[in-house]
Amino acid sequence: MIPLLEVDDLTKHFGGLPAVHGVTFGIDDGEIVAVVGPNGAGKSTLLKLIAGLERPTRGSIRLRDEPVGGLPAHQVRRKGITMVMQTPRTFPSLTVLENAMLGAMFGPAHGVIDEREARRRAAESLAFVGLEALADLPVETLNLHQQRFLDLAKALAGRPQLLLLDEVMAGLNETEIRASVEIVRRVRDKLGTTVLWVEHVMSAVIELAERVIVLDFGSVLTEGAPDVVMRDSRVIEAYLGEAQIA
Amino acid sequence: MVVRVVRSLRSGTPVARSGLAALLPVAGTAVVLAVLPPIWFGRSTYTTGLAIITLVFASYAVGFNVIFGSTSQLFLCVGALAGIGGYATALFSDSASLPVFVGVLLGTLIAAIVGGVLSWIAVRRSLGVIFTGILTLVFSLAFQNLLLGQRQLTGGSTGHELKAAATTLADDRVGGYYLFAALVVIFLIVFRLIQTSHVGWAFRALRDDETAAELTGIDVSRYRVYAAVVGSAMIGLTGGLYAYSDGFINPTTFAFNQIDVLVLVMVVFGGLGSLLGPLLGAGVFEAVDQLLSSSGQIREFLYGLMIVALFLGFRRGLVPALGRLARRPVVPASPLQPRTDDGPAVPSAT
Amino acid sequence: MKAVLLDGIVLGLGFGLLGVGLTLVYGLGGVLNLAYGELAVLGAMVVSLVKDAGAPLALAAVAGVAAAMAAAVLLDLTVMRPVYRQSGEHRVLLGLLVTLGVAFLIEGLLNWRDPLGALTVDIGGGPIGIFGVPMPMSSIWASAITLGAGAILVVFLGATTFGRAIRSVMQDEVGARLVGISPSFTRTVIFALSGALAGLVAVTSAMSSPLTVTQGFDLTSFALIVTVVGGLGSVTGAFLAGLLLGIVDTLSAYYVGQYITSVVLLGAAGLTILIRPRGLLGR
Ligand SMILES: Nc1ncnc2c1ncn2[C@@H]1O[C@H](COP(=O)(O)OP(=O)(O)OP(=O)(O)O)[C@@H](O)[C@H]1O
Ligand SMILES: [Mg+2]
Repeated sequence: MIPLLEVDDLTKHFGGLPAVHGVTFGIDDGEIVAVVGPNGAGKSTLLKLIAGLERPTRGSIRLRDEPVGGLPAHQVRRKGITMVMQTPRTFPSLTVLENAMLGAMFGPAHGVIDEREARRRAAESLAFVGLEALADLPVETLNLHQQRFLDLAKALAGRPQLLLLDEVMAGLNETEIRASVEIVRRVRDKLGTTVLWVEHVMSAVIELAERVIVLDFGSVLTEGAPDVVMRDSRVIEAYLGEAQIA
Repeated sequence: MVVRVVRSLRSGTPVARSGLAALLPVAGTAVVLAVLPPIWFGRSTYTTGLAIITLVFASYAVGFNVIFGSTSQLFLCVGALAGIGGYATALFSDSASLPVFVGVLLGTLIAAIVGGVLSWIAVRRSLGVIFTGILTLVFSLAFQNLLLGQRQLTGGSTGHELKAAATTLADDRVGGYYLFAALVVIFLIVFRLIQTSHVGWAFRALRDDETAAELTGIDVSRYRVYAAVVGSAMIGLTGGLYAYSDGFINPTTFAFNQIDVLVLVMVVFGGLGSLLGPLLGAGVFEAVDQLLSSSGQIREFLYGLMIVALFLGFRRGLVPALGRLARRPVVPASPLQPRTDDGPAVPSAT
Repeated sequence: MKAVLLDGIVLGLGFGLLGVGLTLVYGLGGVLNLAYGELAVLGAMVVSLVKDAGAPLALAAVAGVAAAMAAAVLLDLTVMRPVYRQSGEHRVLLGLLVTLGVAFLIEGLLNWRDPLGALTVDIGGGPIGIFGVPMPMSSIWASAITLGAGAILVVFLGATTFGRAIRSVMQDEVGARLVGISPSFTRTVIFALSGALAGLVAVTSAMSSPLTVTQGFDLTSFALIVTVVGGLGSVTGAFLAGLLLGIVDTLSAYYVGQYITSVVLLGAAGLTILIRPRGLLGR
């Protein structure tokens, strides 16, 4: 079977300095894969490369064997990959529902969805993340946690195959983290969406991820099941190194 | 009622209503424009002339609003695009002896292509607001110098008398008025239809946040070029019809400080991106201009004073300001949830 | 040919200084001062006024430069404050619109007081041979003043503590505030400098041909072209671009004609934006 996503020798240099270097991995349909690593390891850059927000210096990205590396973000989106960024990127002049509608309208592969259908799908995905009660409010009235969920609803409304999440649990409290973990789990279980997920909150990673990829200095340090990876001495060292600097 | 209308004019407001209802404000405008001459200024050629100028500027302003108001591309070449329409009309109909309407159409087409190319360049090179502004300003000034330099073709600074001009329109000012009133109404309809279509949604998204729009699947570059083509066509068409109805054009007719500055002031003052803002802006501007005209030499000074005061005071435009006033009692001041990062968790997350 | 080239260099020096004044303000938070040319014209009219009142030329020139400088400072202390309170594209746009309004204001004021006003600075003395080319005294004076001002500017920005502070604010507003440099005071100084340069250019350019009340917009566009080619925000780039464009201008005007020359200069700016948006030496 062809993996959903294949990343091969993916490399990105910023002015000569490698942010991502020779990264190779694959993801199967329906997996939840976490990417962890110290600050500046290149996690966000990796996701941006896959989402089309950055152009790779070298290497290939394939979605179901179709090359998507180097395509502009909107085309990558229509191929079925969507991303929720570290800081929520919502449309501030619109309401919550209208934000989600935009995702529903322009996300799908086969052209723009009409307004009525988009409204329906948007309402559906707002309900999925539990924001339906806030549908008619302007986004600026939402708190960070809610804005992240809205961003997620916006992404889901376009019915992606692969969802990229960048540290969506940073800065949340215990209850909110648990709520987020539940939602990500349901995204995979109920919607069948594959999730590639960058996270610093280790408890959430251990609870949710089926496989963990560890990045350090732009390269893959190791990968495997969460409990195995977390006991790996190289991983502990990478994190300890960071802790000592901090 | 007034409150409702004003609210619907708010810039950036997604137009949820579909079909004919969305065109109500335009229909209202059309009625007002239609009855103005008989009930007000129809018998004064002078005032009718002023009304025509106002409508011509309103037409430019709607075109500029499509480009700048909807997609944030600072096109400082409205005069040049209008000049392309005007000179194309003059040259194709006089020198190449084509029917006038063909000249106008060709002018519109060329303006649309030029605007599209400028936008395409700006998009490809990812020029921001300021560089797009400089690029188009440079284009304006170069175009102006070409008009002045190519004397054999354009008549240089002496100008060009259109043989094919509509003498009837020049004499019968009310006829000219209705021509441009119809033009404005058509432009407003087009603007509204764009606003209510998926293109309008794309515009609102990319104006808010380009990256977020791209991540949503919106081809930001394509919609930018689209807006530039449509807006430039409007401006070129207006320029062509102006040349046709007035019968005389020279480089100053389309100069940067004759057109662009005023259009920019009108649109920003009226409210960027709003439906009727450009028309209101043009109207208020011309009215103020009339008041100032009696002040003689000091007029330009007062004019500058007005611009500075307006921009510092009404930064977000007249229509949105009215909209906010009208909106205040409608939307509760305090949202359901306080905007703090550790606010209550989202209801029913599981 | 050699004569044309020398003329070009003289003109280019003037262009360069004009560009520097605009680029300094732009470098400081991305505002394009569209009233820049009007500041020069304002300075010129003051020179002409003081001169006509019977004052010696040097005194009149100093008064003109001071007037342009004062106007620029006034601009910064009043209408530019709300502009700098904005950030990002809002600031850029509001800055553009407000300075446009100020340009009208100044032009209107001057037009109202003296619609036919013009400044001619007459430098006596016969031509002097340079590289075998007889150069008029006025050109030599203009170049000497420009070079002197340029040198002072370079030393000020490069070698004094305050000059370095200015450059640090140009690079990083927030960072500068953290190390104790007040951006608003620095801005006022920059505006003063920019105004003084505008006034100076007015005086030197009036040495070769009369500067009229209506030339403000032309000066602004020349300054804009020079800055764009040199790289917005780059002082040395503006000088270099000015020199280059001055030579191109003179050559083209000599061989092709004036309107086409303007198109050539504008084309240079357009091409720069397309090929190398950062300009010759832009960051
Ligand atoms: N646009 C850019 N230009 C230059 N360097 C960049 C750019 N984006 C990222 N980098 C550099 O690339 C490296 C990786 O950055 P990235 O944001 O991917 O790290 P990260 O793993 O997401 O870190 P964090 O945990 O802090 O979010 C960093 O050294 C960063 O400084
Ligand atoms: Mg990151």
